[in-house]
Amino acid sequence: MLRKEQNDLLTQTGPGTPGGRLFRSYWVPALLAGELPENDCPPVRVKLLSERLIAFRDSNGRYGLMDEFCAHRGVSLWFARNEECGLRCPYHGWKYDHTGQCVEVPSEPEASGFAGKIKLKSYPLIEKGGVLWTYMGDPASQPPEPEWEFITVPAGHTYTSKRLQESNWLQAMEGGIDSSHVSFLHRGDLNSDPLFKGAKGNQYNLSDSRPVFEVVESPGGLYIGARRNAEEGKYYWRITQWVMPSFTMIAPRGNHSVHGHFWIPIDDDTCWTWSFDYHPIRELTAAELAAMRDGKGIHVKVEPGTYRPLANKDNDYLIDRAAQKAGRTFSGVEGIGMQDASLQESMGPVVDRTKENLVSTDNGIIMARHRLLKAVKALVDKGIAPPGVAGEHQRVRSAAIVLPPDQPFKDGAREAMIARPSVAHASV
Amino acid sequence: MTTAAALRFRIQEPNARARATSVIALDPASEPFVARLAEDRWNHATFLKWPEEVGAAGPGADEGWLTTFDGRQTRIREAVDSADQVIMVAAAGGRADAAALIGRACSDRRVTTTALIVGAADAADADISKTLAQLRPWSLMVVIASSDDYVRDMMTALRV
Repeated sequence: MLRKEQNDLLTQTGPGTPGGRLFRSYWVPALLAGELPENDCPPVRVKLLSERLIAFRDSNGRYGLMDEFCAHRGVSLWFARNEECGLRCPYHGWKYDHTGQCVEVPSEPEASGFAGKIKLKSYPLIEKGGVLWTYMGDPASQPPEPEWEFITVPAGHTYTSKRLQESNWLQAMEGGIDSSHVSFLHRGDLNSDPLFKGAKGNQYNLSDSRPVFEVVESPGGLYIGARRNAEEGKYYWRITQWVMPSFTMIAPRGNHSVHGHFWIPIDDDTCWTWSFDYHPIRELTAAELAAMRDGKGIHVKVEPGTYRPLANKDNDYLIDRAAQKAGRTFSGVEGIGMQDASLQESMGPVVDRTKENLVSTDNGIIMARHRLLKAVKALVDKGIAPPGVAGEHQRVRSAAIVLPPDQPFKDGAREAMIARPSVAHASV
Repeated sequence: MTTAAALRFRIQEPNARARATSVIALDPASEPFVARLAEDRWNHATFLKWPEEVGAAGPGADEGWLTTFDGRQTRIREAVDSADQVIMVAAAGGRADAAALIGRACSDRRVTTTALIVGAADAADADISKTLAQLRPWSLMVVIASSDDYVRDMMTALRV
């Protein structure tokens, strides 16, 4: 349960809001690099943190991300011509460079210097690991570039997708750290999904549906350990990483790739769900990539030309009651990603947390909210940078590991939870 | 389809009754902490502590006794019987011997247990490990909190 003012504080991320200031402390994923595939390609509309923006790639390959609307009469620059190192508004020809600086106003004498007085709000946009990242905060506080392992491994080792989620970012993120739902909602997929099946850890999952949880604070967020019984009195641990504000990394299975999410607010009612899979020491196989593109694992199939899932709230997520009854899926919705999204969206755009009844196994969610609220307060009151900004907070891994019964997972998996180049992830 | 407009029609009646919760300090170092919690207003909470001298040697020592912060004694099984959930609080490095007695009583009666290790921010890993080893077998959920105000937030979130 959260009080209404706490719920508002965490779920509202527009300009000027405390929650918005928190998100504006980080580099956040804005677009897939493939959305701007070549110089002078068509611009792309982007809405992030309740700001309408336009992204483009100029004649020299520089990326720009700025206010979507022309400063003259408010025309959307999505209609602009991307030509000769700038976006030219088709209405009266005003032209902007990649920093948002107006460089041409054809109706005014060049010598007047009028163009130099016009500048659209803009944000840096950089490419790293096939993702275009932006920082929307105070330029004086811009942190170092992101260092997440999925964007620092060789290109052939990693795959990233994104999809529209029609709910606030927080309820989507909370699903990512709610380890106790896996034994129910996703139980039908562990032995059938090509990106999960075959791992020994699946048997521990399926033979012990009542895991015991431990929540431990990490420098950047939380470690959430789910413990199940293994052989000889040992414990099988699945350790999820949460790094503030909205990065989660799910424990891997066998030699499959390791995966996770970012949830980035579009506005207060919708968010982008970013999903990545990577393998630290090998290339993803053609079969794995095909499965990911086909919506397996944590990825989903989307409507062609958009990022809206094919199964969405307008078609009741293509629910299959026969599959539900037969136990092929627990909820009747196909695919792990949409199983999560369908339920999270069913809560409404922003769930009313004053009405919820949390239980002990929700401590991961309770602790995450606790840390987010504290971080917002420290940022707003004292200007303290929140956890998760520093590179060492980002160089983390989830882990699946078998440990002796008396060993804290934080100790036993200490090395496994740090990303190290060319070192395999700990997985069972 | 759930839209913001449709959400206006969500039923507003209360959907749960208060859960009775016993909050128990397991060692002397965690007592002041639980005593401070007891001063706040809660829906249905009882605050108790493990008095080592009574618990170990007093009447009914085989099943253990607890005391309230105003000095009344109660058997562990009575504290558990009257609770829907039990929250055990231990200081990092403290002796959490009582966890086994309380945990066994909870297990017998199917009462949910949550264990919190407080004072973890400045504690050595070895101290946390020692306390963790005592709590782990008897807890559905263990939380190691570096911030002591977490327990209050957690109890609020659980509507204690």
